[in-house]
Amino acid sequence: MLKILNNSVAFAIGVIVVGFVAFAYSASVNKITDFVIFCIYVLGFDVLYGHMGRISFGHTLYLGAGAYGAAMCAKYLVPDPFLAMAMGIAAGAFLGLIIGPIAVKTKGAAFALINVAFNQIGYFIVLVALARYTGGEDGVSLTFNSYGFVNFGNIHFLFAFCLTCLVAVYYLMHRLYGSAFGIMLLGIKENETRVRFLGYNTSAYKWVAFIISTSVSAFAGALFVINYGFANPGFMDPARNVEVIFAALIGGPGTELGAVVGGTAYMVISNYLAKYIARWEMFLGAALLIIAFGFRKGIMGYVRELVEKRIKANAMAAEK
Amino acid sequence: MFEVIAYGLTIGGILYIVSIGFSLTFGSMRIVNFAHGLVYAVGAYALFALLPVAKGNFVIAAILAILASLPVSYVIEKFVIRRLYGKSIDYAIIASYAVLLIGVDLIKWIWGASPVPISDPVGTSVSFFALEIPLYRLIIIGLSFLIFISLSIFFKKSIIGKIVVAGLADREAVLSLGIDIDKYFAIVFILGSALASLGGILYGPISTIHPYMGFRIVTLCFAVVIVGGMGNLRGTAIASYTLGMVMAVTAWYWGAAADAMIFVVMAVVLIFRPIEL
Repeated sequence: MLKILNNSVAFAIGVIVVGFVAFAYSASVNKITDFVIFCIYVLGFDVLYGHMGRISFGHTLYLGAGAYGAAMCAKYLVPDPFLAMAMGIAAGAFLGLIIGPIAVKTKGAAFALINVAFNQIGYFIVLVALARYTGGEDGVSLTFNSYGFVNFGNIHFLFAFCLTCLVAVYYLMHRLYGSAFGIMLLGIKENETRVRFLGYNTSAYKWVAFIISTSVSAFAGALFVINYGFANPGFMDPARNVEVIFAALIGGPGTELGAVVGGTAYMVISNYLAKYIARWEMFLGAALLIIAFGFRKGIMGYVRELVEKRIKANAMAAEK
Repeated sequence: MFEVIAYGLTIGGILYIVSIGFSLTFGSMRIVNFAHGLVYAVGAYALFALLPVAKGNFVIAAILAILASLPVSYVIEKFVIRRLYGKSIDYAIIASYAVLLIGVDLIKWIWGASPVPISDPVGTSVSFFALEIPLYRLIIIGLSFLIFISLSIFFKKSIIGKIVVAGLADREAVLSLGIDIDKYFAIVFILGSALASLGGILYGPISTIHPYMGFRIVTLCFAVVIVGGMGNLRGTAIASYTLGMVMAVTAWYWGAAADAMIFVVMAVVLIFRPIEL
């Protein structure tokens, strides 16, 4: 069982696909498409937090960059969904490219807030400075081309497409973390000074990881735009960063499955339970406090612990 | 132009008053204390609530508001930051962020989400080269200079101040002298929180107060600390007035861009700053 949890990416992907399809067709396909895209966003965030030990409090900047990259492409170039996605990812990668060298110089608190500062600049740009093009507070509404069965207006196709994207990103992340690069990131998380003593240029690795994270987050932003058919400054609102932080923490940082579980958990809470929770921000704050004080491994860490205990107990029983 | 300079000094003065506590926590513990912004907002809202109690007397209401916001900062320091600090800096940051979220929501619950205006307590203006400058702003500028001078004396002459300055430079060396440095940092933490609360109180009548003002001031304080240097007391002062001036000049040309401009300046400073944070 532990082996399955650790190694079998096929098993995990199977669980994700079956779980989401069952969830979507028993609840609402529209809503669950949102869940799937949000999970991609959490996967992007967790590259930095779970694997490099850098927590960003301004990640909506990159989500918003993807959203606006896609929206501007669809509005002013061609409303082609694939080109829009490519432009969204390119926007996120570009931001990672220029912000990365400044941001990765820092860690801990400084890293968290530098991202917030850039997030504020980005929010100002889409809300005020470029309001003529972005539509300011109202945002822009969009329609995308469809080609035969490749029709993003069809919720079933859209759901299948997003789920495929999630699986692809999940698999890519799994390969990435298993590679030498992923181990390097973990080394940086544990003790960057030692990694540098070994002769590695840690800044370059951190920069690349930063770009991967911003690109994946921007991809999620572009998918959101295609799903909703509009882009507004809400995508880049610095006050909404708590969502992804909460999702990554509750799922269990540092594991791909944890990101998906956390993303789903957050979306379930915000979609189905929010109407019973009168004070939403207070609820999130209290939950974060509980996580910080006593639930640090998240849901997946907890599950893993349970499984490990069970295996140990089984082994002891077998010895007797 | 004088108007812009006066506005810049006013904003810079408030930034300085609020940033000093933030800078000290950041310099001593490498923690971004999001809850610092909460104390700032609580100060402003406590003033709003206490003004009728003090029968409109601004000074009495301000003193009461500072006293009312001190328990908030004490509880945060004692039960959240201290308890997490030794274990993990990341979780200390997350927890202080959570405290700010809870506090902002409490403020929204009690006073509503829409901005609240506070009227100018002085009301009169001073004519200055054919310009009308509200006397209240001049008082803020004077007060911020006064605080700057008293803090300079405090950190140079008093024993508490000296220990804290030494602790910022080399924590282990101070500890090895048998001095419980954390106790002194806690005293300065409370002092910094009182100043944050004062900053919120002073800012209220210039603009309006709103629940999210705490979030905004945290990022502005961070920019001050980056530009001025962590735990660098004189740098904090210079950076505050400089950034206040940047804000005033930007606001003169384009009001909405003032905050964004601060972060642009911060980014430029970061590019050319060789040290790693």
